[in-house]
Amino acid sequence: MNTMTAKATPDTAAGTRESGEIRLVGVTKKFGNAYAVESIDLTIPHGSYCCLLGPSGCGKTTILRMIAGHETPTSGEIFIGEDMVVGKPPVERGTAMMFQSYALFPHLSILDNVAFYLKMRNVGKEERRGKALEMLERVQLDHLKDRMPAQLSGGQQQRVALARSLITNPKVLLLDEPLSALDEFLRLKMRGELKSLQDELGITFVHVTHTQPEAIALADMVVVMDTGRIDQADNANTIYNRPKTPYVARFMGGQNVLTGTVESNAGGAGTLKSEAGSTFEVKLNDSSATVGSKLSIAVRRDQVTIRRGDEASSVGANSIAGIVEATEYQGSYVKVTLRAEGDEFVANVSDRAFFAEPVETGDPVVATWNPEDIHVLSKVDTGGAGDSYLDGGH
Amino acid sequence: MLPTYLQVAPLTVVLTLFFVVPVGLVVLVSFFRYQMLVGIVPDFTLKNYVDLLTNPTTWTLYQSTLKFTLIVLAITFALGFWIAYFLVFHVRNLLTAIGLFLVCTVPFWTSNIIRMISWRPVLGKEGLINSALLNTGVIDQPIEWLLYSDFSVVVAYVHLFTLFMIVPIFNSMARIDKSLLEAAVDAGASRWGVIWNVVLPLSKTGIALGALFVVTLVMGDFFVVTVMSGGLSGSATSGIFNDLQFLNYPRAAANAVILLIIVLLIAASIFRLVDVRKELVR
Repeated sequence: MNTMTAKATPDTAAGTRESGEIRLVGVTKKFGNAYAVESIDLTIPHGSYCCLLGPSGCGKTTILRMIAGHETPTSGEIFIGEDMVVGKPPVERGTAMMFQSYALFPHLSILDNVAFYLKMRNVGKEERRGKALEMLERVQLDHLKDRMPAQLSGGQQQRVALARSLITNPKVLLLDEPLSALDEFLRLKMRGELKSLQDELGITFVHVTHTQPEAIALADMVVVMDTGRIDQADNANTIYNRPKTPYVARFMGGQNVLTGTVESNAGGAGTLKSEAGSTFEVKLNDSSATVGSKLSIAVRRDQVTIRRGDEASSVGANSIAGIVEATEYQGSYVKVTLRAEGDEFVANVSDRAFFAEPVETGDPVVATWNPEDIHVLSKVDTGGAGDSYLDGGH
Repeated sequence: MLPTYLQVAPLTVVLTLFFVVPVGLVVLVSFFRYQMLVGIVPDFTLKNYVDLLTNPTTWTLYQSTLKFTLIVLAITFALGFWIAYFLVFHVRNLLTAIGLFLVCTVPFWTSNIIRMISWRPVLGKEGLINSALLNTGVIDQPIEWLLYSDFSVVVAYVHLFTLFMIVPIFNSMARIDKSLLEAAVDAGASRWGVIWNVVLPLSKTGIALGALFVVTLVMGDFFVVTVMSGGLSGSATSGIFNDLQFLNYPRAAANAVILLIIVLLIAASIFRLVDVRKELVR
């Protein structure tokens, strides 16, 4: 760590190095006539680990590239610390980007790849190689310094890319799907390393990913994006447990979204009735939910219990009847997928409970939950956007 | 499955028939004797080589050929590199890039001779450039060196051969991952820094191949230099041509062998600089 701060001193780039806070104000990016990103407002606090999460084509990479300076916003302003950075080159912004393909220079040795930034600043050969070697030692690759990038494994290449980014002593590190090219084992390992690196350096990390568990495991702040817009930006726990919109609930996985019409609202204790006739008890603290209006709610998959049941007639409040479509053993729990009221409904049943009373595909079951586990969404569900994509989470 | 020797047989036959045998014959004939009125007499003599190497004209011709080669190489490289760079990194639309690329090949839709002759009305004494300059009063005497000079030879060469430089460089550049350029910018490289440190080294193969094309084309030419210089300049190959006209095949063959050796030496030095074979399988 001390070597890092020591390296900060020769830096002459403009601006103060203190704050790595990123502020996007009304940022829009159009490619031709299509909006990649539409009037985004977002503040990423200094020193936080922020994950931009969303399906492919949602604009998350465009945001990253605009922060990095590889893309110019069509309108809007981007601040890093106190400086308005639109139009400035990356080095003046104090950002460093790690590319998805790592973008190591294939004609340069590992050492010269890492030393590239110093070469561009006209640091002498001996000095820059010395510093690059220190940086390679940090990522434990100093023994490979004379290899060419093509001779390294994916994980090693990524470490080199990391070293090459960090040697610029950035206040913001931008990572474009950094773990997507790695196999499962390495991905988990590097995930842990990225997190501890960020803790150690204390600079802002912005990490683009389409993998929910990655975002939840890493981020202090998760920004969930839907086609060019931010749906919710919050800490991981809130995003996962209290999603604002049906889209976020679906995208993060782990939630079932149900929609119904408000039947009654007696001082915050309301009931919803779904189109198929099931009733759900809901705590309504918001007066806009008038009787007759539609409302969507979410319930976590692992807070649902299932039992065998025959007909909807026997179903009480806070439950839904359906037919088992699939069961999938996940080790500590069993993922039971139901077809209920024409929609998919998933219950994650603990393995002990499941095997005490196993159900099979085609069995009629009733899924039940406690009303206090219900979470009211701020938007009415209009069907999942990008549904095919949403099934990944558990 | 055919036996291995049968699989390589067709190529071997073609190469032997059209490459090894003719070159072997030329080498053989270069040691024969030439007798006025009789023609070629089988012999083993070094006379042809001694004749050539002691003749100052040979040296002058080779010197002028090498001069043209170097000048044309420099100009076609400069043009080829920037045109390829523009096509690959500045034209964002692939269709436009392909369209512009085709425009580069337009000169090749007509024959060599027409392309050369068409320079005459442009460069001639009463040609386009001279009359334009005269009419605007920039000069009051037509510029003589525009046509039938080294200048016009170089112009014709550049016109004819730049495409051979563009194509391989374009090919190399097209394979450069665009994110490498961004990574360089991210590390603080200026536009020139990116070109010098990333684009140029990664286009080496194309440059080497293009240089090889241009060198062999210019070194092997006698037609362009004769037409465009109005017979004032010659090339190494013109020496061979002259000997052939006098049916002095042995000396022509000896000259051809010398030329071949020089071209091979240049090619070898290009390949020493860039491992083209390794790069091509990349």
